[in-house]
Amino acid sequence: MKNTLKNPAVYLMFIIPTITLYGLFFLYPMFSSVFYAFTNWNGLDETRFIGLDNFTTAFGDESFRSAIFNNMYFIVFSVGLQVPIIIILALLISNVKKLKGFYKTTVFMPSILSTSVIGILWGFIYDPDIGPISAFLGFFGLDPIYWLAEPKWAMIAILLTNAWQWVGFYIVLILAAILAIPKEIDEAAEIDGANATQRAWYLTVPLIKPIISVVVMLSIAGAMRVVDIVLVMTNGGPAGSTEVMASYMVNKAIKFGDYGYGTALAIIIFAFALVFTAIYQLTFGKTERIEY
Amino acid sequence: MKRNAMVILTLILALSTLLAACGSKKNNDTSSPSASTSPSASASASAPASEPASPSKEVEPFTVSLRHIQIGEPQKFRKAILDEVVKKTEAEVPGLKFELDGVEDAVNRFTKLPAEMAAGNQPKIFDLFGGNADALKYAKAGRLLDLTPILDELQLKDKFLNVFGQFTLDGKIYGLPIGGNMEGVFYNTEIFQQNGLNPPTTWDDLIKAADTLKGKGITPFAQASQAGWVPNMLVDTLLGRHVAAGFPNGLTDGTLKWNSPEIVAAYTLYQDFVKKGYFTKGELGKTYDDMLNEFGAGKAAMMFDGSWRSSAFKADGVAKAINGKVAFIALPAIPNAAGEQTSINANYGNGYGFSSDLNENELAAVKAFIKNLYNDEMQLRGLTEDGVLPSMKLSDEAMGKVTDPLVKQVLDTMKAAGSSFVHFDSVVQKAVNAETENQLQKLIANKATPQEVGDAIQKVQDTENAKK
Amino acid sequence: MPTSLKKAVPHAVLLVYVAIILFPFVFVLFSSLKADNVEISQSPFAFPKDFYFQNYVDAWVQAKIDVYFFNSTYLALSTAVLGVLLAAGTSFALTRMKFRITSKIIYQCVLIGLLIPGNVLFIAQYILMMKLDILNTHWALFWPYTAGALPFSILLISAFMKSMPNELEEAAIIDGLSAPGLFVRIILPLTLPALVTVFIINFLGNWNEYLLANFFINKDTLRTLPTGMVGFRDAYQTNYALICTGIVFSVTPVLLLYAFLQKQIIEGITAGSVKG
Repeated sequence: MKNTLKNPAVYLMFIIPTITLYGLFFLYPMFSSVFYAFTNWNGLDETRFIGLDNFTTAFGDESFRSAIFNNMYFIVFSVGLQVPIIIILALLISNVKKLKGFYKTTVFMPSILSTSVIGILWGFIYDPDIGPISAFLGFFGLDPIYWLAEPKWAMIAILLTNAWQWVGFYIVLILAAILAIPKEIDEAAEIDGANATQRAWYLTVPLIKPIISVVVMLSIAGAMRVVDIVLVMTNGGPAGSTEVMASYMVNKAIKFGDYGYGTALAIIIFAFALVFTAIYQLTFGKTERIEY
Repeated sequence: MKRNAMVILTLILALSTLLAACGSKKNNDTSSPSASTSPSASASASAPASEPASPSKEVEPFTVSLRHIQIGEPQKFRKAILDEVVKKTEAEVPGLKFELDGVEDAVNRFTKLPAEMAAGNQPKIFDLFGGNADALKYAKAGRLLDLTPILDELQLKDKFLNVFGQFTLDGKIYGLPIGGNMEGVFYNTEIFQQNGLNPPTTWDDLIKAADTLKGKGITPFAQASQAGWVPNMLVDTLLGRHVAAGFPNGLTDGTLKWNSPEIVAAYTLYQDFVKKGYFTKGELGKTYDDMLNEFGAGKAAMMFDGSWRSSAFKADGVAKAINGKVAFIALPAIPNAAGEQTSINANYGNGYGFSSDLNENELAAVKAFIKNLYNDEMQLRGLTEDGVLPSMKLSDEAMGKVTDPLVKQVLDTMKAAGSSFVHFDSVVQKAVNAETENQLQKLIANKATPQEVGDAIQKVQDTENAKK
Repeated sequence: MPTSLKKAVPHAVLLVYVAIILFPFVFVLFSSLKADNVEISQSPFAFPKDFYFQNYVDAWVQAKIDVYFFNSTYLALSTAVLGVLLAAGTSFALTRMKFRITSKIIYQCVLIGLLIPGNVLFIAQYILMMKLDILNTHWALFWPYTAGALPFSILLISAFMKSMPNELEEAAIIDGLSAPGLFVRIILPLTLPALVTVFIINFLGNWNEYLLANFFINKDTLRTLPTGMVGFRDAYQTNYALICTGIVFSVTPVLLLYAFLQKQIIEGITAGSVKG
């Protein structure tokens, strides 16, 4: 009987397609990146090995440095501001009796839309001449804000749009964890005289720590990965103020055919992602599994 | 067990065939004579594989990809001309079907085409800009078709004006400019009259007009700087007027520096305009079409733009609201600037290029396309319908057919100019041009001083010049 | 604080949030039925004066939304199905078949893929497509989409399969089922919840993918919805009503699907992410 599950031919049949695809579209690009990152390959001219030049260029490039900072803004904004709001909203939804399903369904809606459509939609909302925000400000006699045209506002505009898209997704994640907590625990606390706020803070939040940790992790990963929304809304502008690492890389590589430099940037992005993941795992992410 | 494995394999296979049916192959790697004409995904191009051995005369359908930039309302006149040429050529060449692919100008020039050139999968016919960063670079890499023999065969060479400078490498011609243009000031005569202003033909009048209009809440200059090339048009003319000699060719051979006092002075003037609020508010978020809209709606009094925009103000153009109320002049002489003050920016920089990897059928199609597009009739139509200055010699009689006052003004301005210079973006390397856009946006956003702008661009210029 | 008020406060907060979520949709819907920019800018919050349905006709004709829609649908469907099948097969081999050491190595190797942010591979994949000569064809999206989902899918499905008891398959093998038979008849049906989750996640991801679609595909007839819509915006950027119509077209089918499947989608995704 054991032999049935020890048939190498069958094993290979199940494994090989996956390994082939994975090797070709993950591992090969990964390793070829490492090679190209040390060359000046641009598809047109002769390719030369240029050592670490691409990396020194990247860090010497002021635009790339500001792109790194913009990724940091994304992290700070999504972890520092979004996560608390997400937790509060999830707690509120879990505590209401009526309309729970309605809230859950509605808040999740933006997350199923494509980022590019959301970018177009919000570009419209932000429009200083005809967008509703301008009209709203005009109500109070305020001048329209040039959201996507002024360097000081553009980043905020993108961050808000990004939050609009993803907050609901994370709310639903946390909600699922809250609803999985056995009712008895909460009821026991209620009998003990704890009010709703106390129960939420001292009971629910500690119990959902693992999923909060997941949300923070996903937020960091998302912030490192962000690119679509920037490309669609501002393409890095105005004056480079919303450029993130990935959009900078894409523009450099594709616009100038500077593939060597582009892959070097990709490796830097990967390194950043690894470092952040590691830091997080070693510090805050070390939560134990909680048994009820 | 075998049967079950087969089920899965069949499933996978079925899926991939489904995909194959819906997917598409690259133009030249399969021969599929049944190029579907449905607009679905299956309508992909499938030119027959090149089999030079069998030039059969029977009609076998084939498609030729054609990348153009005539999308959107403002380009409709140009698109109409192209459509007619396409139709005519398809009728002449048996089996030919063009596959038109319209892409926005800047996207095509700076993103799509460079990527395709690097990959070697450029369309067969495509919109192409001249100069070091475009046509000449691609020609060097062997991607462009040498057109010299075709021009000889069609006896076209002498019919062109002297317009091949930015498309010629080692004596061979790699692109055909569709026409010419110059960049200057469009102004709304009605707004000027209503406000008792003199036409902006002298610098003093221009500044006075800008100040007065600004005070009255009318935008002096419509401007749109989301894409850096738009404000770069005015910058280019300011540079040409400020630099005594060597603009723009001196930039690449190192004799002219971006951080020289002359160029910094030009950027300072531009910054001055920004600071005085002469340009559209929020210009960094505005697109090129926004600029035309603003000017066309009478919200802005002037607009620095290329002569190609003149067709927008025709009775059936996008900006027809101000039809008959628009005039075109060269930027007036700038006081205390070192350059030649009657010089203008003039280019024969945009036209069509052709892929070097054509098979026999495609070559025939290209020849017919050239013959149908580059002739007196289409050139004259381009001029009268679209305001594009001809790149070919037209008879005086033909030129006499120009009735549009605005086109006439463009022609007169061109004639009156003391000299002309090409746009620096056709001379400097791509990375340098990108840096000029980047730095100009910083200047507009007040994040860099003119000197910093010049220094930063020169740094990239030095790197690029050293690469050779 | 009276109880009724206590109950009202959370609802008030949540309704404000819901309003923020819904407002853009309503705004776009209204705008798509307005005659022109003037009407939108003068009364952005108002109900359209008369329903201007011409926008819908124009947008449909000019934007080829049907083509984009078809492309997105079949690409997202086929890649999600193939991805799930491959991942399920591999997970089965890795977790249930008796090649412990090989399996462990392969599993770890595949999981490394989870650490790589998608856009890091973008340029290398672009070069690969260039070399394979499939840029500007749907294959250039099909393969990366399929491959890109594998690590996560395998992680999730493997976790699910690991937790299944051994007794069932032992019985099945004694009854004479082969390994593939076991996989198809016993394991797949039992893993269905995880497969659905993975399918939904992959489908939505591929349906919405923009970066690769934007740079790997140049032909209008091959574009997917996300890139097609951006192209549409760029071409008609000054006609806001028309763009809004385009947005309505592209969003409605997804919202309809969501309306029908919202329970499965939400549960599928939370199950996946919480366990993953």
